[in-house]
Order: sequence, then structure tokens, then C-alpha cells
Amino acid sequence: MFQVKRRALVLGVMIVGIALMVWAGVHNLRARRLAMQKAQENHVELIPGSAGQPGKVDESDADDEGEEPSLRGKVAPAFSLTTLDGKKVSLADYKGKAVLVNFWATWCGPCRIEMPWFQQFQKQYADQGLVILGLVDDVDAGDAAIAKVAGKAGVTYPILLADGKVQKAYGGVDVLPMSFYVGRNGVIVEETAGLGPKDQIEAHIKAALASSASGAPSGGQ
Amino acid sequence: MRWRLAVAGWAMAAVGVSPAMFAFQAGTLPLPAPALKSYVLYVAEDHDVHAGKRTVLELHFRVADGYHVNSHTPKSVLLIPTDVVLQPAAGISEETAEYPAGKNYSFSFDPSNKLSVYTGDFVVKVPVVATAGAHTISGKLHYQACDHAACYPPRDLPVQIIFTAR
Repeated sequence: MFQVKRRALVLGVMIVGIALMVWAGVHNLRARRLAMQKAQENHVELIPGSAGQPGKVDESDADDEGEEPSLRGKVAPAFSLTTLDGKKVSLADYKGKAVLVNFWATWCGPCRIEMPWFQQFQKQYADQGLVILGLVDDVDAGDAAIAKVAGKAGVTYPILLADGKVQKAYGGVDVLPMSFYVGRNGVIVEETAGLGPKDQIEAHIKAALASSASGAPSGGQ
Repeated sequence: MRWRLAVAGWAMAAVGVSPAMFAFQAGTLPLPAPALKSYVLYVAEDHDVHAGKRTVLELHFRVADGYHVNSHTPKSVLLIPTDVVLQPAAGISEETAEYPAGKNYSFSFDPSNKLSVYTGDFVVKVPVVATAGAHTISGKLHYQACDHAACYPPRDLPVQIIFTAR
């Protein structure tokens, strides 16, 4: 009788002990997860090992945390924006054309490097149907500052004042410069983030120009 | 008297970020970059000071490897300076913050354009005089970061300094 009670007591102690260990494990795991969540809210932005080779951005490159998917292969989001001159310009105005939609900002050094390249390509490929639209991200810089930067870069293509909605429509635009090469059918042929090689930009332009306007989906353009 | 300079919540967690986490984040340029992450960390430190006397609080920041932010005095009016903005707090009088000089930097694709930037660790000094007791100073670090091929929209890094003057 005594042995039975003793075994029951030992068994009970063991069960309580195991339960305590499981509880401690779960509690510890929960605490670690909370700590990781806090750390991740503030941890340093990823270091682009290939930063400087921005060029193509594959969907597979995207971070799982809050990444917007690539727009490549999708119809370019429509927009209607005001130019520095006060004119309304819509993406739909250029139906059947290849359009380079370039997001930039006055404080963005790499942006100012490629703008003269765009100007050159605009002249070079205009006859083939290329249109370049520069969408300035920091409209709060003021028209004078925007015009000054664009003028210094020799830009004559339309500079549009981004309204916040267009940035969201194009995935947030958290990296500048960011460019979307829209084919004649209104579908985004290529998208790039950061300053890429000039010949790569030209290759993307040619790809957009080479796209067929036939069977164009009804979308942005 | 000993003032304990600390940061609350998220900033404490940020200090614990390991190099392994940095390495984990390495990769090709994302599209777009996650909006809620930061290119700069705030690193808390303890300070021994005397209540009622002028004390210089040192705010330590760390710019992520491979990135730079404009200094407090960039060489172009178009560039966005790094600024610490602290809200007034009861029992504390603040003087103007002191910023380190920037390092000269040029993008490889534009070597003639000289920039003044912070990379790695930098310290902003904030002289204060405070009464004895517990204090909290809230504020932010306003900055704009770039790497060597792309730039990122301006960000605000929240800073909350919690200390007790004894």
C-alpha cells in the first residue's frame, strides 16, 4: 500500500515537473519571439550586396517582409498628374507608345546622373515612339528647386508632380531612382531600382519599343 | 549624481541586433525597400552627471554598412541634413545640439560632386541642465540615406531618452 502511494507521489511530481518544463519552454519561446519582433522593427535596412548593380529586380529577390511584388508583366497603373507647367498629363495619353516612367527626387544624386541619359534617349528614340515621363517624388521641394534640378540635367521631357497615390500604385517607391519601362501595349516590360548602367537602360528602352501594340490590354494606357 | 541614459522599448531591442542579422539581410536590391526599417540605429549609453549642472548627453548613432547619410551640414541646399529634434521636457533645459563634421564622400559615378556624410558611428552631443529626478526626452533623428547606387526617402528614427538624476 505504501509503495503504491509512493509511486503515485513520484509520478505526480514527475508530471508536475514536466508540465513546468513545457510551460517554461513555451514562455521562453514567446519572450524570444517578442524580442525578435521588436528588434526587427528597428534593425538596419538590408545591405544590398549588389547595390550598384541595381538593374533588374527579380521577384525572387524580394524580402518576404512587406515587400510589394514586382509589377513586371502587369499593366502599368494609370495616373493623371500635373506638370511643372500646370498641364495635366495622363499615362493614357500615350497609348501605343513605349513609356519610361522614372521616379526621382531633387535630393537623389543617382537620379541626377541618369536624367541626362534619359534626355539623350528621348531624342534618339522619339521617332520610334519613346516617351519619357519624370515623376518627381519630393514635390515639397518646390517648383523652383525641381525646375532647377531638371534644367541643370538638361531635361526637356515632361516632369510630373507625383501625388503620393501614384507612388503607392507603383509599389511604394522606397528606392530612388526607380524606373518602369512600359511597352506599347501598356504592360510593364521591365523595372529597375537604383542607378544602372547606361547601356542597360538603353536595352530596356529597346525592349519596350519592341513590344507589340496589338492586343493591348485595357489598363493604364 | 548619476543619470542613467537609456532608451525605451524598440531602441533597446535595436541595440541587440547582431551582425548575423545584418548578414541575413544582405542581398540584391529589393523592390521596393521595406518601408518600416531603418538605415540608422540608436545606441544607448549610460552617463554620470550632476543634477543642476550642465551635462553633455551623447547620442550615439550607427549607420548601416554600405550606406551613408548626409551630415548636419551637407554641401548642397538640395540635400537633406541629418537633424536631431528633441521635444521640450519639464525640468530640462537643452542647448543647441552639436554635430560632428561630415566625412568627404563622392559617388563613384560622380567623383566631382563632393558630399559631406556620416558613415559608421557618429555622435550628436546635446548639452542639458536638468533637475534631480526621473526624466524622459522624446525626439527623433531625421535623416536621408543613400548607398553607392540608390537613395532612400527621408526617415525619422524615434529617440526616447529615459534617465534619472539622483
